Amino acid sequence: MKYRIEQQMDLREKLGILADAAKYDVACTSSGVERKNTGYGVGNCIAPGICHSFSADGRCISLLKILFTNECIFDCKYCINRRSNDVPRASFTPQEVCDLVMGFYRRNYIEGLFLSSGILVSPDATMELLYQTLYKLRREYHFQGYIHVKAIPGADPVLIERTGYLADRMSVNLELPTAEGLRALAPQKQRPKMLAPIRQVYSERQQNRQELALYRHAPKFVPAGQSTQMIIGASGESDWQIMKVAEHMYRKYEMKRVFYSAFLRVNEDRLLPVLPGGPPLLREHRLYQADWLLRFYGFGTEELLSEDRPDFNLLLDPKCDWALRHLEQFPVEVMRADYHTLLRVPGIGYRSAGRIVRARRLGTLDYENLKKMGVVLKRAVYFITCGGKQMYPVKLQEDYILRNLMDGKEKLPAGARDTSGYEQLSLFDDPRFSV
Amino acid sequence: MIRVFQCEDTLTGILTGVYDAWDSRLGHEHVRLSTVCDGNLELFCEYVQTEPDTEKAEKVIRTIKRRMGEEAFEMIAYAASYPDDQKADAIYRMIVTGLHLPDGRQITGMLTHPQVRLVFELRRKAWHIAHRYMGFVRFRELENGVLFSEIDGEADVLALIAPHFADRLPLENWAVYDHRRQKAAVHISGKGWMILEDVDKEQLLEPGASAQEAEYEALWKVFHRAIGIQERTNGRLQMSLLPRKFRQFMNEFSCPEGRADRP
Ligand code: SF4
Repeated sequence: MKYRIEQQMDLREKLGILADAAKYDVACTSSGVERKNTGYGVGNCIAPGICHSFSADGRCISLLKILFTNECIFDCKYCINRRSNDVPRASFTPQEVCDLVMGFYRRNYIEGLFLSSGILVSPDATMELLYQTLYKLRREYHFQGYIHVKAIPGADPVLIERTGYLADRMSVNLELPTAEGLRALAPQKQRPKMLAPIRQVYSERQQNRQELALYRHAPKFVPAGQSTQMIIGASGESDWQIMKVAEHMYRKYEMKRVFYSAFLRVNEDRLLPVLPGGPPLLREHRLYQADWLLRFYGFGTEELLSEDRPDFNLLLDPKCDWALRHLEQFPVEVMRADYHTLLRVPGIGYRSAGRIVRARRLGTLDYENLKKMGVVLKRAVYFITCGGKQMYPVKLQEDYILRNLMDGKEKLPAGARDTSGYEQLSLFDDPRFSV
Repeated sequence: MIRVFQCEDTLTGILTGVYDAWDSRLGHEHVRLSTVCDGNLELFCEYVQTEPDTEKAEKVIRTIKRRMGEEAFEMIAYAASYPDDQKADAIYRMIVTGLHLPDGRQITGMLTHPQVRLVFELRRKAWHIAHRYMGFVRFRELENGVLFSEIDGEADVLALIAPHFADRLPLENWAVYDHRRQKAAVHISGKGWMILEDVDKEQLLEPGASAQEAEYEALWKVFHRAIGIQERTNGRLQMSLLPRKFRQFMNEFSCPEGRADRP
């Protein structure tokens, strides 16, 4: 019966259902790989990625983000597609996905495909379908654009490996930062099972790197690396626990990105928390800022948080917060401080730090120059001297700086501003965030 | 007496100006470059018109690349595409300064130099526009298979984005039409691209949309609507990231209000 209904469903309806079901995955970047067209296919990849549109919630649309199917044998509490939910179900065929990708890509709607899926029948059966789809796209259509595909935990490693040679990025979402959280809210998922494909992709990428060093034209395995995602605020973890997991992912598995997604209560379930302020967007924002500090600013989780101080100060960005607790390291002399020291100054981002280092070799800098280079003086002024001089007299004193910083109104993304709003913050990929 | 070299407002035009100004041997302090020619002449200036000359421009390009590196050239090419009265002279000064440095490559980081900084800023502005169009261009398939799209940017970005699409869609015939300048980047399958001036848009559009076009546009709208998270709707943020001026030719916004969340 159900089968017949699906047969009659047209492509528009399916796309509506399967895009809607995929929208909670926050990863939509097409970054991390640079690939020219070979001259006989369609597509290429640009390392920084390209946004093709923005959705009504202000998030960048880069990839055709869809589920292959929203049928699922699992029953994860937080998920709209869980087995026990009564929602319209649909499944694509590999051919339909190819038609959509090629049709959209030629029209420059997208950079490529983001293909996730519910678990249809079994992890193996699902992974096989994803593999077939990618195979068709790459080998029959010679599609050379970006492909991000999910590795389905529990699937045969051979299938995951084959798929990895066709994809640019693979991901397994950790969803909940701790094993306890997982047990409570996603009882069919087990931590070790989820880590297995992550570990596999990591070690095969290592091997692949050696092959590529020997044979430049060896096929590339997941060249844009892995990413993962954690839900924030569904199961009581502290920021410290979350950042520890993220740091572990970056260091141990060379994860390219960890995404954080403020918990959105899509299901009525007594096991799920009711957050009075709606999705914890400001908290999510602080985690992204801290994430930048880990990846680009040389900070470690232990410097930012500790077991006794397990959560970020929501009122202050983590870098300012750190600086205020380490006033003994300031002020920093902009003409002399090394790159890594500059990076730690609130108001100096990694781009402006780079520009400062280059420019000061060729001339003396003043505050006007710094401003032009993108330094946010409003914040930096308390922490720097330039040519031995402060911009105007300020005190290097915690209360004083704190008061002034708070008066100066941090530029928060719309939506994170008041925690009660349901607005979306979205510039996940904007390094200016963590300045 | 200062001699002002008036050049055409294109990369070729400006670099020809650079060539002529240098070649005049009047000394850098006695020459100036300008792309404006509004009849507003200054006293003690002598005005000469330079005719854009690809050969001269090519020579300058080779010198820039060899002595100052690809990055410096890219900076100049992007800056030249952005409307600004001072840019031609700033580019000239940047080149002069760069060629006098022991290592010309350092010029791109020399942000304490006001003219280099102007070129740097113009490059950044133009790059933003070009990079956005790489994403926001919407091709429509015509009955003859040609993919057609239209842009309307403050900067003259056709030549900056054409190589990107040529690499991406090497086997397609496509055209990107610049509404403001009535010119187009045109690509022939398997061959390459070129810029055509004074293009008749209606003529290009003559064949009409292909049979499949409407269906793909409809599918794209379905996707665009479905992918937004309703609980996090934020039109203000969407508008700041994708300003109205870019939406004009994007079919997902092609309803009277220009808003995607309306049917
Ligand atoms: S396995 Fe995935 S799709 Fe299925 S219920 Fe869990 S989160 Fe949802």
